[in-house]
Amino acid sequence: MRTARWQGLAYVAPFLILYAALLIFPLLMGMGLSFYRADLFGAKVWTGLGNYGRLLSDPVFLHALRNTFKLVLLIVPTLTALTLALAVALNRRTRGAAVLRGVFFSSSVLSVTIVTLIWRFVLTPDAGLFAEVAQALGREPLPWLSHPDLTIPALALTTIWWSIGLPMMLFLAGLQQIPSDMYEAAALDRSSRWTTFRRITLPQLRRTLLLVVMLQTAAQLQLFGQAQLLTAGGPSGASRPVVLFIFEVAFVRWELGYALAAAEILFTLVLLATLAQYWAARPREDAR
Amino acid sequence: MNRDRMPPLALVLTLVGAAAMVAPLVWTVLLSLKSNAELLQDTGAAFRGPYTLENYGAILKGDMVFRWLLNSLIVSLGTTAGVLALSSLAGFAFARLDFPFRRTLFVFVLLGLAIPEQAVILPQHRLFAWLGLHNSYPGLILPGLVGSFGVFFMTQYFRGLPRDLDEAAALDGASTFQIFARVLLPLTVPAQATLGVFTFLGSWNAYWWPLISATTSDRFTLTVGLASAQANYAQTNGLGYLMAQAVFASLPILIVYVLFQRQIVNAIGGAVK
Amino acid sequence: MRRWLAPLLLLGSCAQGPDRTEIHLQRFFGDCSAEYGRSLDIGGAEGECGIVTTLLNRFRAENPDIELKINIVAWPGYAQLAAQMAANEPPDLVTMHQGLITDYQTRGLLQPLDGVLAQAGLQPADFTAAGQRGVVKDGRVYGLPWDTVGGLFHVNTRLFEQAGLMEGGRPVLPRSADELLAHARRFKAATGKPYLVQSSVNDPATHTRNLYTYLLAQEAVIFPDARHVRLRTPEAKRVLELFRTLEREGLTTTNQDNPAAIASFLGGEGGVFPTGTWMIGPFDAEAKTPGRPLYGAYAVFPYPRLFGREASFVDGHSWVMPRRERTPEQEAAIARLLRFMAERNFDWSRTGHLPAVQAVVDDPRFRALPHRADIAPLASNGRLLPPYVQRQGAIEGLIGEEVASAVAGTKSVDRALADAERRVNELLASTL
Repeated sequence: MRTARWQGLAYVAPFLILYAALLIFPLLMGMGLSFYRADLFGAKVWTGLGNYGRLLSDPVFLHALRNTFKLVLLIVPTLTALTLALAVALNRRTRGAAVLRGVFFSSSVLSVTIVTLIWRFVLTPDAGLFAEVAQALGREPLPWLSHPDLTIPALALTTIWWSIGLPMMLFLAGLQQIPSDMYEAAALDRSSRWTTFRRITLPQLRRTLLLVVMLQTAAQLQLFGQAQLLTAGGPSGASRPVVLFIFEVAFVRWELGYALAAAEILFTLVLLATLAQYWAARPREDAR
Repeated sequence: MNRDRMPPLALVLTLVGAAAMVAPLVWTVLLSLKSNAELLQDTGAAFRGPYTLENYGAILKGDMVFRWLLNSLIVSLGTTAGVLALSSLAGFAFARLDFPFRRTLFVFVLLGLAIPEQAVILPQHRLFAWLGLHNSYPGLILPGLVGSFGVFFMTQYFRGLPRDLDEAAALDGASTFQIFARVLLPLTVPAQATLGVFTFLGSWNAYWWPLISATTSDRFTLTVGLASAQANYAQTNGLGYLMAQAVFASLPILIVYVLFQRQIVNAIGGAVK
Repeated sequence: MRRWLAPLLLLGSCAQGPDRTEIHLQRFFGDCSAEYGRSLDIGGAEGECGIVTTLLNRFRAENPDIELKINIVAWPGYAQLAAQMAANEPPDLVTMHQGLITDYQTRGLLQPLDGVLAQAGLQPADFTAAGQRGVVKDGRVYGLPWDTVGGLFHVNTRLFEQAGLMEGGRPVLPRSADELLAHARRFKAATGKPYLVQSSVNDPATHTRNLYTYLLAQEAVIFPDARHVRLRTPEAKRVLELFRTLEREGLTTTNQDNPAAIASFLGGEGGVFPTGTWMIGPFDAEAKTPGRPLYGAYAVFPYPRLFGREASFVDGHSWVMPRRERTPEQEAAIARLLRFMAERNFDWSRTGHLPAVQAVVDDPRFRALPHRADIAPLASNGRLLPPYVQRQGAIEGLIGEEVASAVAGTKSVDRALADAERRVNELLASTL
């Protein structure tokens, strides 16, 4: 039986080796390099916590951090509420509901480049769909891609449109696992739709809800492609999220160490968001 | 699932939402069917005829977009196959086998769930440069294989399968690998499908890694290739052409999606437990 | 159908014949394969993209023994180039702005071209003075200079006529900042359209060019040394306040990125489009097409003297060779390509850029091109930044971003200039 005890390792080894070599090793390497003033081409000078100190007093980084939080706060609650409502509405066995589920999922299969290409020509005030509609209504088109107050909402709108599919599917999956006798009991009690939703659906979907919020928070903390391609972080940094900051610092300014320090801060944020989810999920598990 | 009709208000709201989902796509298709010169004067012309297929003709006349499409397919399929194989093996072992450091290793893998791409991508880029893996299919595929989500997900799924199955098979003299491959693996098809869809879409949409790892246009994936086409200083190819490229590039995956929609939707529904 | 099968068949197998030398070229200037995919008609091509595409098509056709692979990158492509260099996978030839050569040269990332140029039968003396200044560093040649580029005032003369700003068939350009404002107000009153068409969104290059040009005109020292920029000056403030006033009074188009601004100017939506030499070709083509808003109504001049003396901030494109291992056959192929490009410098100058090969400047064919006499001053009073200034591309992005905020009014002019100065100085201080 000795061989059998070790046999398990052979099954996990292929993944673990790649995982350690291509994820954990670079992670540690990045942490190490974040203590250096290093350029993209190998030159480096030790600075200790210098990069971190500089980041915390760099208005551009702090602005990017604020932008990222704004995006998360705009996107995650909206997307969660919207997809939950859609899932409840479309959790039916009719043909129409099936078609609509398909429609709402369809944008998820498009790549970010295509999404931004499409939305550029929806939003741009000179040639976009919104501009055409505004003109037809006799209004001035809004400068979605260049006004400091509008670029973040524009990115949020694009992202919501793009990512509505998966959370909706997760909620639909969650809904299907709710035993139907719970609803039948509610029907006998003549509970209103709202009461049923609040008393049965929502508590039963608690785990799915946490999963969706958690996945979306992690995803939107890392929002990058839309911002780079749609607004380039502009105007004047008004829509530059942290990841675009990291990209620019590394590949335009060539300050690899500084970029990595920013990446480690982002890593900490994602880690905290993940731990918060575990913490939020725990009381329930204990009660079981 | 509910059998009755939607309440009228919900129906109206849902239809409005669906229209909002579809409108940008219709607009894109309309733009792609117009001549570039006409759009330069007024994009509103997209709402009126005459429509033309000239932009699609131009794409078919030889363009990198075919190559990019093919690269995206190779990379996405390669990543998906790799993730499914690695995650199934590891998931089975974590769920069913007892081996030294099992718990420690599982926690070690879970840690990966919290590592964002940005924390590792720059050092990864260096590492791949040392290994000489940039601008190659393995270079594009490998970073996609190390996500922890697949292992976590498959472990949970294997745990949910009844134990008596393996015990019965073991009594019949099946080896551990036979139990894995013949008995349990076929039962994980819904989970494989879900994980496959997630992985495929994630890889299909990957942007930053191929942007810095693929260095010549014959290795670009679709996302990177189209980004280079759209972000040019003077938009030389014209709006209609760009939109035709977008439509053209989306078609294969949209067709696959429409054909397999039921499976994809059922798969996602079936596996989140 | 065969074309689309070809990549499938080639996949994975290096099916090129062993006798063909493969070289990788990477360029910006856009992708216009839709229009010029296989065209060899260089003379019939218009604009940077059309001309460079047909040039390279022609080179391929004339040199069947060379397998020329072309990578078209998104403007300006330097992020990818940096990633490629960090990955030890740079291309063989790359388009590079002359102002950026120092960055790569000082880090040993570029190969000196002296040998390859000699092989191509070219020497530095063949280039214009501006071209030589752009590519010769520490006594060695690091690039084939291809042109000199700068900002110009592209004018819609029909609208100028309506505004009474024509005299003897020529547009009247302002001679001071106040006069510019006066002209712009008059123009707006007469035509109902903005005087300026500006690409102000996602276009730091335009903002920075405006600032540099008018700082040079005032003989302000922008970079006193390699580690510092000087922007908190009355000279800089004067320039930004002018552009802020134009924006505040609605004398310019707003919220336009470069494609939108081009479309506006082509559609006759404004009087003057300050943009680069590269638009002369396309605008002139429009001006010769009956029925277009710009038909018979186009003229172009250097940025007018608004402060101090006449001056222009210029730069140039060049072809550089990143350092990597190459076979002698590859170097020979590169030499042939460079020779071809230098010989075709006249064709490139049809874009509107000033040629970098002296023989082309002296060529009557070049002088016969439209508008070249009007923009000739650019060649004599155009100035580059001092050669010791590193990271010019990154600096352009930082300054452009801050100038954009000041012009849009989201930051005060003083604050924007202070922020720009601080950010540039930080960048220069952290340069290794």
